[in-house]
Amino acid sequence: MEAFDLRPDPDAILEELETDQEQRQGRLKIFFGYAAGVGKTYAMLENAQERYKSGMDVLVGYIEPHTRPETMQKLHGLPVLAPKTISYRGIELKEFDLDEALRRRPELILVDELAHTNAPGARNKKRYQDIEELLGAGIDVYTTVNVQHMESLNDIIENITKIQVQETVPDSVFDRAETIELVDIEPDELLRRFESGKIYRPERAETAMRNFFTRKNLRLLREIALRCTTDKISFENQNERSLSDKMANTKLLVCIGASPSSAKCIRWTARAAEAFHASWVALYVEDIESEQMTAEQQKTIRANMDLAEKLGAEVVNLTGHDIAVTVAEYAKLSGITNIVVGKSRNKKTLKNLFDIDFEDHLIALLPSIEVHIIPGGAVKRAYKRPRQKVKTENFRLSWADAIKSVLILAAATLLCFGIHRLDVMNQNIIMVYIFSVLLISRVTEGYVYGIAASVISVLTFNFFFTEPYFTFNAIQTAYPLTFIIMLLVALITSTLTVRIKAEARLAVKREHRTEVLYEINKKLLATRGLDRIVALTNDSLVKLFGRSVVFFTVDPEHGEDGTVLQTADDIDATVLNTSDEKAVAHWVFLNQKRAGAGTDTLMGAAAFYMPVISQGKVLAVWGISCSKGTLDHSTRLFLRMIASQVAMALERQHLSDEQRNVMVASEKEKMRSTLLRAISHDLRTPLAGILGASSAIRENGSMLDESTRDSLVANIQEESQWLIRMVENLLSVTRISENASNLVKSPEAAEEVVGEAVSRIKQRFPQREILVRVPEEFLEVPMDGTLIVQVLINLLENAIKFSPNDSAVEIHLEKEEKSAKFEVLDRGRGISGEDFPYLFASDTPGKSRSADSSRGMGIGLSICKTIIQAHQGTLEAENREGGGAVFRFTLPLKGSE
Amino acid sequence: MDIKPTVLIIEDEDAICNFISAILTSNQYQVVKAKTGKEGLSLFTSHVPDIVLLDLGLPDIDGTEILRQIREWSKTPVIVVSARGHEREKVSALDLGADDYIVKPFGTSELLARIRTAMRHSLQSAGTNAAGEEKVTIGELEIDYNKRTVSRAGERIHLTPIEYKILVLLSQNAGKVLTHDFIIREVWGVYTDESHTLRVNMANIRRKIEANPGAPKYILTEMGVGYRMVEEPVEK
Repeated sequence: MEAFDLRPDPDAILEELETDQEQRQGRLKIFFGYAAGVGKTYAMLENAQERYKSGMDVLVGYIEPHTRPETMQKLHGLPVLAPKTISYRGIELKEFDLDEALRRRPELILVDELAHTNAPGARNKKRYQDIEELLGAGIDVYTTVNVQHMESLNDIIENITKIQVQETVPDSVFDRAETIELVDIEPDELLRRFESGKIYRPERAETAMRNFFTRKNLRLLREIALRCTTDKISFENQNERSLSDKMANTKLLVCIGASPSSAKCIRWTARAAEAFHASWVALYVEDIESEQMTAEQQKTIRANMDLAEKLGAEVVNLTGHDIAVTVAEYAKLSGITNIVVGKSRNKKTLKNLFDIDFEDHLIALLPSIEVHIIPGGAVKRAYKRPRQKVKTENFRLSWADAIKSVLILAAATLLCFGIHRLDVMNQNIIMVYIFSVLLISRVTEGYVYGIAASVISVLTFNFFFTEPYFTFNAIQTAYPLTFIIMLLVALITSTLTVRIKAEARLAVKREHRTEVLYEINKKLLATRGLDRIVALTNDSLVKLFGRSVVFFTVDPEHGEDGTVLQTADDIDATVLNTSDEKAVAHWVFLNQKRAGAGTDTLMGAAAFYMPVISQGKVLAVWGISCSKGTLDHSTRLFLRMIASQVAMALERQHLSDEQRNVMVASEKEKMRSTLLRAISHDLRTPLAGILGASSAIRENGSMLDESTRDSLVANIQEESQWLIRMVENLLSVTRISENASNLVKSPEAAEEVVGEAVSRIKQRFPQREILVRVPEEFLEVPMDGTLIVQVLINLLENAIKFSPNDSAVEIHLEKEEKSAKFEVLDRGRGISGEDFPYLFASDTPGKSRSADSSRGMGIGLSICKTIIQAHQGTLEAENREGGGAVFRFTLPLKGSE
Repeated sequence: MDIKPTVLIIEDEDAICNFISAILTSNQYQVVKAKTGKEGLSLFTSHVPDIVLLDLGLPDIDGTEILRQIREWSKTPVIVVSARGHEREKVSALDLGADDYIVKPFGTSELLARIRTAMRHSLQSAGTNAAGEEKVTIGELEIDYNKRTVSRAGERIHLTPIEYKILVLLSQNAGKVLTHDFIIREVWGVYTDESHTLRVNMANIRRKIEANPGAPKYILTEMGVGYRMVEEPVEK
């Protein structure tokens, strides 16, 4: 029996194999060239033809339709996937049919032009995302790409060719390729091809040649392509380096900001990190000013962060007033060795004279770290305009502030009149005014009132309290100095207060976030059960963002609905469970990436979907409705923070579930093995008896007298009856041990169950008196009738065995408040004190049972206990007053669980 | 009886087959044995037995399938032999037209009693006296179909119309197991889930006709299958 159970389930193995297969990633081969026309597609098709001839299942997914005729000839004989037609603004666009390709699942698929941007309406924005999906599905892919499409080389190429390439491919795709086949020809040869019109049609060739296909450009591009390939090869050669090694060596950090030149820094860092085989971090520090950023700037920042992420950086977001200090702090903590900053040449202004440069500050703070400075382009202007806007923010005017200022100034003036009357020194009056300016700067918003107040103070002081009185003529030479000091005081205080206020605001915001996170975390910690975790998360998300959410804990591929929660003012949340939305969630489960509205993948979806990942496994996917507009970067970041908390909670839940399963399984196993041990002992005795008796009859039949033979036959019958009872008990055990929690309970009339047990026991012990008492009231109890009958039979049998033959055995049924009580009573010798602890255990330790007296009793009772427990009932035994024992069990009535 | 009744045993276990045939032969039955479903069906057509003992777990054809095929053209009583715990199997066999069932392991007397009852019932339904019966007496219980009265030891018992209907149904099929579904269909007519109502009615009937509803003498419960009214009350 045990050997049977331990044998692995073949279905499970098959399933595992299948999922394993799904897990296998496809191999990517890139045919890499330095310009159009070098023959990438040709090489790719040639390669595929060979594969096809050797029996591989090859499918041509997509080949650019304007391919040269020689190349098209190479296509001959290969199965080709029909392109999907997408109509966009009335134009029919032919696109690669990803879904069909995934459905056909060839071993190898050819998809031309890795850098292509898909027509709007396709699932993915970029073709390389299509290819990632193919790879994810375990399909090998051949593709082509030119060097100028490499993301990290983008700006270099732009410098060389003066043409900005829009269609770029992240380096990570390039890195992912198992093989890079460089397709290379001499630039001169390429130009000859070009002139003969093999690449572009003549009219286009003319312009192309003037702009891009110059000999110099081609040489440079070729050099870059060659170097790129070399890098890749040398990187592979050194790939034995482990990740920890990588960490120990170098770690780069790039500071990113709203400036578009940040992109250049990011690309540079990506290349450098690649060259050093180092990991790198993109750090964005939010400060006071970032609050007042324009939408344009926010977009740039988001683009920069996305770019960094695409290039393989870890993106970190920090808040702090002083960027240099924050960066330094972070660098120290996370072991950064190199910092990359962008710098544009500043004009020499007065302000610059007093300001320390950011780089200088950084170097001062981190003397041991290398700082790389990347010069920025002439894009300074875009950066400046919003600055001015920031200033106007600080010059906001409001009536309330104006009144406050006037009142304070008036009060100060009155006070000064008082002081003046007392004829104390003028210095005190000045003090009072300085104090009032300080006060105004503190209580008003922005600089404007402080400065105005200082000017007015000076003027009023001049007007009222300097000789000649009531004129603006300041005679004493010291007064201009007083004015200047007052002005400075006002300015400094205002700046300080403005800064403090802004910092306080930021701090509050940060505090709020931390608090929310903490709150969620605290709640998650206290939550048990998947459903409750989901409900809690949904609740928190809805409260935080005011958008409808959906939470999938399992891949919705097979149609399971996610748990939705709707806000009053958002779209109907059931939309999030439509098949289209589920398809997006399914994609996220498979690809472990964000998708849906506001991303590059399946942007037509109604919600933004993100995976909750832990240890490379997607534990859940949630979607946040975007009917109110897409989510901004900080929201996404915040979501990610929550996701990591939820991931932890889910993981914990997962673990505890697993642990419980293991416990249940081991409990079951324990029960089974003790049973087996007990049974194998108990079975042997009657079997030996049967065998002995039957062989005695067969072999010595003639020599036995009638009565001996009879008694032998009677023995056989008795022993076999005992065996049958034992087997029946065992059957009931298998019935519950399969799945104790899923006991099939149906309502049964309790008296019928009692009646059945009594009638069956009577067949075996017809001579014994059994007194049955059932209540007048009809009692219906949810139970597995067969099992409860078994319990009653076991208890009755026990009672009969352990009491004298002439005494009656009683069975009582009673209704209690929330349960039905069954009692089996006898007038036997009762239960001895030392037996009590082991009464319901299938094994009596340290005591070898004599096979005849207590045979089967222990097992019988332990089975009863198991059955009753599976019914959430209780089973107990005690000695009866006046001798004998009572076995009592209760079963919960309907609705009392 | 001059002609020995023929019993067809369809059972694949040799030991059980041997023991049943030994009992039956010694009790004046003629026995035909079949080890597979196919053999059983062909023996059924060639020997035309008076009663069939059918094991539900056969190696080739499912026992219920054999039952279905027999019931297509014959009313020969069939007793299903099955193991305990397979209640659903029993119910479906009974619903398919089996006359009775017997649970393995069973004793000699039990088997013979079941065979007798089944044969009597088939005679009744085929014979003449099925409709004309006026009253039935089981132990102290007396049911008068004409007067529509029930009495125990001469004392009138008051039953509700539904209770009377159930009791009549059971008494007309005394000795036979009636499944829950069958009773519900016969009494309430509709095929709805009235099992709770049936249980409550049964409890009420027992309180009226049985001395101790916990140890019934007249109507026995067949756990998970249905109810059976005894032909002779079990004596204590």
